[in-house]
Amino acid sequence: MNSVREAVTLPVLFLTVVLLAALRPGADVTVVPPSLASLVGAMVLFALLVRSGLLAPDRLMHSARSSLANVNGLFVVLTAFLASAQIITLLVPDAGVPALVGWTVLTSLLLQALAIAPDRQRLLRGLLVTFGAAFTLKFIVLATISAPAQSGVGRALQLLFEGVTLGAVTQRPPHPLEGYLAFGTVVLYLVGLVMMPSATWHMVRIGSGGGGGLVQQDHDIVRGVR
Amino acid sequence: MQEPVVRGVGAVVVISYAAFIGWLFAAQPRTVTEVVGGVSAGFGTYTVDAQAFADGLGFFRRDQFVEARAAFARADPALRDARTQFYVAYSFYRQGWGRTHSDDALFSSGVEAIDRAIALAPGGRLVVDDDDDLQMQSADELRAELQTGLTRDASDFNPLRWFGTRK
Repeated sequence: MNSVREAVTLPVLFLTVVLLAALRPGADVTVVPPSLASLVGAMVLFALLVRSGLLAPDRLMHSARSSLANVNGLFVVLTAFLASAQIITLLVPDAGVPALVGWTVLTSLLLQALAIAPDRQRLLRGLLVTFGAAFTLKFIVLATISAPAQSGVGRALQLLFEGVTLGAVTQRPPHPLEGYLAFGTVVLYLVGLVMMPSATWHMVRIGSGGGGGLVQQDHDIVRGVR
Repeated sequence: MQEPVVRGVGAVVVISYAAFIGWLFAAQPRTVTEVVGGVSAGFGTYTVDAQAFADGLGFFRRDQFVEARAAFARADPALRDARTQFYVAYSFYRQGWGRTHSDDALFSSGVEAIDRAIALAPGGRLVVDDDDDLQMQSADELRAELQTGLTRDASDFNPLRWFGTRK
């Protein structure tokens, strides 16, 4: 991999994701660190990245590389991990029932992906869909429900909804900029994942005649079996 | 550029950027001005607007506390100067002090300001001994006075309190 990409581009890109995902614009800007739960979620996500071949740690840190190159590689891994945690914190609703639902669905999807063992391309598509759905839920659906209603009827319906749900669904109304910022941050994170040094092997999906299965192919050497 | 140079520069850039983000998490600045002030204070280049501070001091001595705080906010927009924050806290104390009761909202803001001042002072020790107008010249005295004003206890009902004076 290009040394500029490894030493500068990728870590700076992931740190920018950490920064942008932490910002909550408003009258008083707040900077929200990754939650503890998101750190655990990021570990699962990271395991998924490595298993799918999207990230190859041995191409970033290896005894054959120089110490400085290994330090750069370590920074890529650490910043990618922090960015993953911060992205999860950004996309999961802040509190109440939506947060519980968000965490349950996200955990299920990540565990499901671990069980399916997708390859690099499929994992990227899966993450795009998962993050897109989480973004839609938090920044479009919940933001619409939680935004102050304009009309009297709207306010009445909102009060009724809050009464029925005991206020457990409505969230802090996000600043108008927050959704755009979050969208850009998620895109930046996915671009960073695409730019990561991927594994030299790739999975090959073979015919269904004998039950089908996945094979890991490293050049001409078949490493896996049905 | 040679590869080791690129890698070395990259490592320095990443460490600096990560340190900046870590500082943002720890300091929680609320405005861009506070961010800029915090960074420049880190490099030792942050200065207080002397004219605005003098204006604030003038208002403070004439008991125009709201105006004084506006001037102090101009003088120290990033909230990085211990002395200015001491005067801000003192203005909250004098405005909120009452013979029979104190204003809890103003005293709470005063505690926030004096805590900022103490955090900014070297070693947490702050003494303003060049202003004879002040009866409390140390941050510790002022903080204790503000905390006492916020505490509810039997001494609040002591009639002798009515003869107390504002410091």
